[in-house]
Amino acid sequence: MMIRRPNQNRTIILLVAPAFLFVLVFFVLPLIFLLSQSVLPEEGGFTLQGYLDFFQSRVSRIVYLRTLRLGLIVTGICLVMSYPAAFVLARMPARRRSFLMSLVILPLMTNAVARTFAWLIILGRRGMINQTLLSLDLVENPVRFIFTETAIVLGLAQLFLPLMVLPLVSAMENIPDDVLEAALSLGANRLTTFLRIVVPLSSDGLVLGATLVFTGSVTAFVTPAILGGSRLLLMSTLLRQKAVILFDQHAAAVVAVVMILTTLAVNLLLRVLRAQQS
Amino acid sequence: MVSRWMYISLVILYSFLLGPFIIIFMASFGANANLAFPPQGFTLDWFANVFETSQFIDSFWVSLQLALLSTIVSLVMGMPVAYALTRFQFAGSGLVETIFSAPILVPGLVIGFAMLNFFVLLGDMQVMTGLFIGHTAILFPYSVRVISASLRNLDPYVEDAAVSLGANRLRGFLLVVLPNMQAGIAAAFVLGFITSFNNVPVSLFLSGPGVTTLPVSMLSYLEYYFDPTIAALSTLLVIFTVVLVQTAERVLGLSQFV
Repeated sequence: MMIRRPNQNRTIILLVAPAFLFVLVFFVLPLIFLLSQSVLPEEGGFTLQGYLDFFQSRVSRIVYLRTLRLGLIVTGICLVMSYPAAFVLARMPARRRSFLMSLVILPLMTNAVARTFAWLIILGRRGMINQTLLSLDLVENPVRFIFTETAIVLGLAQLFLPLMVLPLVSAMENIPDDVLEAALSLGANRLTTFLRIVVPLSSDGLVLGATLVFTGSVTAFVTPAILGGSRLLLMSTLLRQKAVILFDQHAAAVVAVVMILTTLAVNLLLRVLRAQQS
Repeated sequence: MVSRWMYISLVILYSFLLGPFIIIFMASFGANANLAFPPQGFTLDWFANVFETSQFIDSFWVSLQLALLSTIVSLVMGMPVAYALTRFQFAGSGLVETIFSAPILVPGLVIGFAMLNFFVLLGDMQVMTGLFIGHTAILFPYSVRVISASLRNLDPYVEDAAVSLGANRLRGFLLVVLPNMQAGIAAAFVLGFITSFNNVPVSLFLSGPGVTTLPVSMLSYLEYYFDPTIAALSTLLVIFTVVLVQTAERVLGLSQFV
């Protein structure tokens, strides 16, 4: 219910202006400046050369495609791991569900360095997996897991799994029991019911979760920094390298803009998909 | 409808989600410095080391001050925005909503990088000021969204009743609306605090000599040392978070806002 009254515009401006100006000056302006940095090199003049250089350089192309590819793999893994589990969670009695959901949120509330550090212990030279392989005589020397794509994928999947589980559970919660019972009593088996009733009715949550996981994975910094290092760069670690180690702010700005455009494109796709659904 | 293999998938999900925490926990008490697994012996040395490393202590205070300050400021400035969005219909409301959700759509590392370049352009700025601006900006989406949700649950007629009985709008807001959204404010506070306290990407570029946040200093420690000190510190942070989140969840039902 909306209230309308005289002087409304003045009130609205007073309410919104402080925060609006803050975001405008300290968030929007820096981004505009970033955009200008990417097309106006220090030598002067407008140029798109930075972008051409980026997409023509073999290294940046490999890094960009690797980032997208790993993002897709992580999204796929999260989807497979959470889908059936989310269904179980959504069908649980409320008390037990709320306890289990708080365990899902817990990792989300712990900093990424702490969470990624665990993978160094699991995958390290003397880590859990290598000790097991060595003691079973499956390998003679420790296998290098750190600084591999597998390590980054595992780390990212663990980091972003909650972002897939949460929207899936809240979408599946809204499926009435009657609908499932109707399908089962009319002769559909459980798999058919799952594929033809549950999946379409939870597609909202699925699309949202996939978007969150994918955009999170392609922009995450901590996990690729620890588990990929400078040997296996992703876009975020490439940005950091260009800015801090190579001091090339122009090239770094280009990488940054490509990252923004990538996440915007994915979010736009989400909107289109949502518009189609409704 | 729920079959046995679905329960198995639930067990796999939770082991993957929580297993790493158990491993960190075990490693933080292990006596061997090289992180060999399983840990041998038992020691509290790594916990002692956390408190003896001044870089962690200093950055902890930076993170704590930063999280408190930016959360409070983003709430105080975000609350009027949420109020305007939920109580009035106005021409630019779509734009306002977009601009306040934008900081969530832009990668944190990019925000930090863009802000650093912009602050350099503006001239000398204290490291802490830059961090404060960056964190406040990224918290607006959370505070505006959570407060809006809690305002939507509150019947506007309650407020109108106060006004028609002689309170002005500000008094009506302070005495009627505010007390009724305590839970929403507290939830927004916890969410904002944790988001700021754990942030790495925005802080990374904005941190400066001597002024670093705790997660960033953990990251740079890892570049030089590879011992269980980080595991011990992580264990302490997990305990801190569990207490905070479980309290918030029990009292406020935090998961509905995430």
